[in-house]
Amino acid sequence: MKILVCIKQVPDMESRFKPDSAGVWYSDTDLAFRMNEYDEYAVEQAVQLKEQLGGEPEVVVLSVGPDRVVEALKKALAMGCDRAVQVQDPAAHLKDPWQIASAIAAYAKGENFNLIFTGLQSQDRGSAQVGVTLAEILGIASVTTIVGFEYADGSVTVRRELEGGLKARVQLKTPALVTCQLGLNVPRYPTLPNIMKAKKKEILTLPVGELLHEEARSVTASFYAPPKKSGGIVLEGDVAVQVDQLLDILRDKTTVLR
Amino acid sequence: MKTLLIAECREGKFLDTNYELFGFADKLGATSAMVLVGRQDDLPAFAGKLYLADAAKFGEYNPDLHKKLILATVDQEKPDYIVFGHTSYGWDLAPRVAAALKAPQLSEVVGVADGGFELPSCNMKMRRTVKPQGTPVLLTLQGGAFPVLKPGGTPQVVPLETAGEPGVNFLGYEPAVAKDVNLSKAEIIVSAGRGIGKPENVPAIAALAKALGGELGASRPVVDGGWVDHAHQVGTTGQTVSPKLYIACGISGAIQHLAGMKKSGFIVAINKDKDAPIGEVADVLVVADVMQFVPALTAKLGK
Amino acid sequence: MDFELSQDHKLLLDTLREFVEHEVKPIARRIDEEHQIPDALVAKMADLGLLGSYLPDAFGGAGMDFLSYILVVEEVSKACASSGVLISAHTSLCCGPILSFGTQEQQERWLPDLVSGRSIGCFLLTEPDAGSDAGSIKTSYRREGDEFVITGSKIFITNGGYRGTGIVFATSDKTLKHKGISAFIVDLAAPGVTVLRNEEKMGIRGSYTTAFALDQVRVPAANLLGREGEGFRIAMDTLNGGRIGIAAQALGIAEGAFERALGYSKERKQFGVPICDNQAIQFKLADMHARIEAARLVTYRAAWLKESGKNYTLDSALCKMLASEAATYVTKEAIQIHGGYGFICDYEVERMYRDAKITEIYEGTNEVQRVVISKLLLADH
Repeated sequence: MKILVCIKQVPDMESRFKPDSAGVWYSDTDLAFRMNEYDEYAVEQAVQLKEQLGGEPEVVVLSVGPDRVVEALKKALAMGCDRAVQVQDPAAHLKDPWQIASAIAAYAKGENFNLIFTGLQSQDRGSAQVGVTLAEILGIASVTTIVGFEYADGSVTVRRELEGGLKARVQLKTPALVTCQLGLNVPRYPTLPNIMKAKKKEILTLPVGELLHEEARSVTASFYAPPKKSGGIVLEGDVAVQVDQLLDILRDKTTVLR
Repeated sequence: MKTLLIAECREGKFLDTNYELFGFADKLGATSAMVLVGRQDDLPAFAGKLYLADAAKFGEYNPDLHKKLILATVDQEKPDYIVFGHTSYGWDLAPRVAAALKAPQLSEVVGVADGGFELPSCNMKMRRTVKPQGTPVLLTLQGGAFPVLKPGGTPQVVPLETAGEPGVNFLGYEPAVAKDVNLSKAEIIVSAGRGIGKPENVPAIAALAKALGGELGASRPVVDGGWVDHAHQVGTTGQTVSPKLYIACGISGAIQHLAGMKKSGFIVAINKDKDAPIGEVADVLVVADVMQFVPALTAKLGK
Repeated sequence: MDFELSQDHKLLLDTLREFVEHEVKPIARRIDEEHQIPDALVAKMADLGLLGSYLPDAFGGAGMDFLSYILVVEEVSKACASSGVLISAHTSLCCGPILSFGTQEQQERWLPDLVSGRSIGCFLLTEPDAGSDAGSIKTSYRREGDEFVITGSKIFITNGGYRGTGIVFATSDKTLKHKGISAFIVDLAAPGVTVLRNEEKMGIRGSYTTAFALDQVRVPAANLLGREGEGFRIAMDTLNGGRIGIAAQALGIAEGAFERALGYSKERKQFGVPICDNQAIQFKLADMHARIEAARLVTYRAAWLKESGKNYTLDSALCKMLASEAATYVTKEAIQIHGGYGFICDYEVERMYRDAKITEIYEGTNEVQRVVISKLLLADH
């Protein structure tokens, strides 16, 4: 069995973000990067499956991006993936989800992976498109937002997280792709001995130009901070009026009231 | 301009959130047709064309066949925009349709901007304006970003059929189970402070949390007093939270508490004291007796 | 020259920060209050490889470099100095001498259990009347056939309460002073070894500081570490390396307190503005940061010298002294910035202040460090 895990390196979300000089993405400087949280669930699930199957499957981890993504790949190797592929692209932030999926598909086509794990979405861009699009290009089954995963004899049974705490059980046959959601598992810490072992694992570098021949289908025109909060509003007076005023404000200013 | 709205049916019901798609179409000033894999006896109140496939036949989650159904409709309608909710249904289905149409998709749209759409990024801390290249354009809309609009009327139903093998097999729903308290993941937190007066008033605060679909939080004195379990405590010695909406009920805003919740998306404070420090971080300060205001608000939400 | 950490060091840091954030930080206050590190945490640290970072993989270690070990102690100490010193004493003072002076057989016999956390290591040198003057220890040994028999008392033994593996120093003849001292690897659960008490302390209260009585403890001859009479050299060499670990611990404490003080100064408002808008606070922050960064550079350099096989005696004394004094200074100022809130337990800087003090004392007081430093400076005088 061959397994592919697709990961992205993203900034620590606690950071303060500033637009880059082109004004279309964040400036890289002074940001600490790490593996996208959802992708950690993907790596963990792939490694768990490898363990479940007695170590037989080969787990390949792939990331598209500049050379710093090797740090994230090394983490995945230290967590138990067997080898890594960096699709080297210093301008990955200018690619749209279609292009990223196309580049990965160009690599994955010849490799005949039985299972592909991706995160549900990236924390920085949040498109939630690359996984499903990759599956569509490869012509394999896919399901998103999994919080439970079982594999037996070429058949995958997952639990999908829907809204409001509802889950759905879904079955699909390999080859298949699943996108992983928070709650699927608890990613392991790479142990110190495994960090050292990972140094000996192969990291293949493929220039993106060799894989990608597709044009972008969407272009970021600008990147900016949402309008700042204005000073707090003070509501005084009759309680019934205050209630109505507050509800109006919440409907207008927040996205949580339905 | 023409939009094709992709509605969602869950457990046999036409979801109310589908009406946000009309709100969006209205904002664009576009005409709308809708696709629904649902039930004949639960149709939206809208006077346009409704492409209806039977959920009994095509399932509520069957993305491969739903994709085919939508593609058949796109052929007829030739829409400018194909619009989904950014939900487990929409983000699962939209990329399949986009791939088939070789069309751009923009995810989690929160606004319409000059020549493009506004999308959140970096955990909602930033935004970007993205311009699609080519048509049609697939959009998934962030829940609550556009107003609910019920156009009213009776739809003109166009039956929809397709054939083929599904790639995935839906086995069934699992009902929601009682959750552990996990404030750090809650989207809405309603917290009780000492200002609620006495432990007997905690259920009123919990009721507001429930009415909003949120979790109950608490300040330290209330927890220390045994009014609320420690698992609910927000602040330095409790949990640090950043929900989309935080409502502080009778919390004056000790710095320990502020440190635990000031990163919340939108903060409402209900306090008798207009000068309470909680006012410094609050987006809205309701100057009122918390035990008068909260039940009134809960009652209004129940309507 | 390159001051950038390697990608592997960064991955290690990333792992350590995640681990500490989730496993150590949430219970640091409880560890202090209950005077104990939960066994579950010790097991988790062992599973992660924190108890054998620079030991060879042949013994179950990670085979990392010495700087990696320093990063481990530093990151853990940022959240919990007690856990930091557990790792430091275990690694530097017990695994270290077995690795440096032990035979192949001794290494194979003792290191796997230490690295896996099945046995926690400690270092039994100090006695009631022999602290800085380690050459004057009274614990004695004599040879009886295939065994050594050790009798005496030891105090202030970090990790002693675990009764794991100890490097015990004893003399065959007090009149020989340091030349009569030998080192032994001793199973502290053996007959004759008694724990007199675990001390009540001002700081690092989760860490055991144990007083032992050794009464006719019989140790197989195979457990002699190095040669007879070599004990004092082993002790000094071990402490020499251990000091870099203490520097890392102190550095971590200082950084932990600084992070909190910096954050608090931005949050706390008085007279309508965050207190960090006051120059009095700004200058404190600048001074704290400066001391931390100076200590860090010397500490990392000492680690690099040791790793490179160069002489590091001067730098290990320097970094221990600088980092521990940075720790007491920074934690004190962190409390001052927190004001009254710093004095109460909720903000944890008071614990850091209590934890910091010992770093100026153990593994050679800072006065002893100054002796070491000045002696080296005046070596040709």
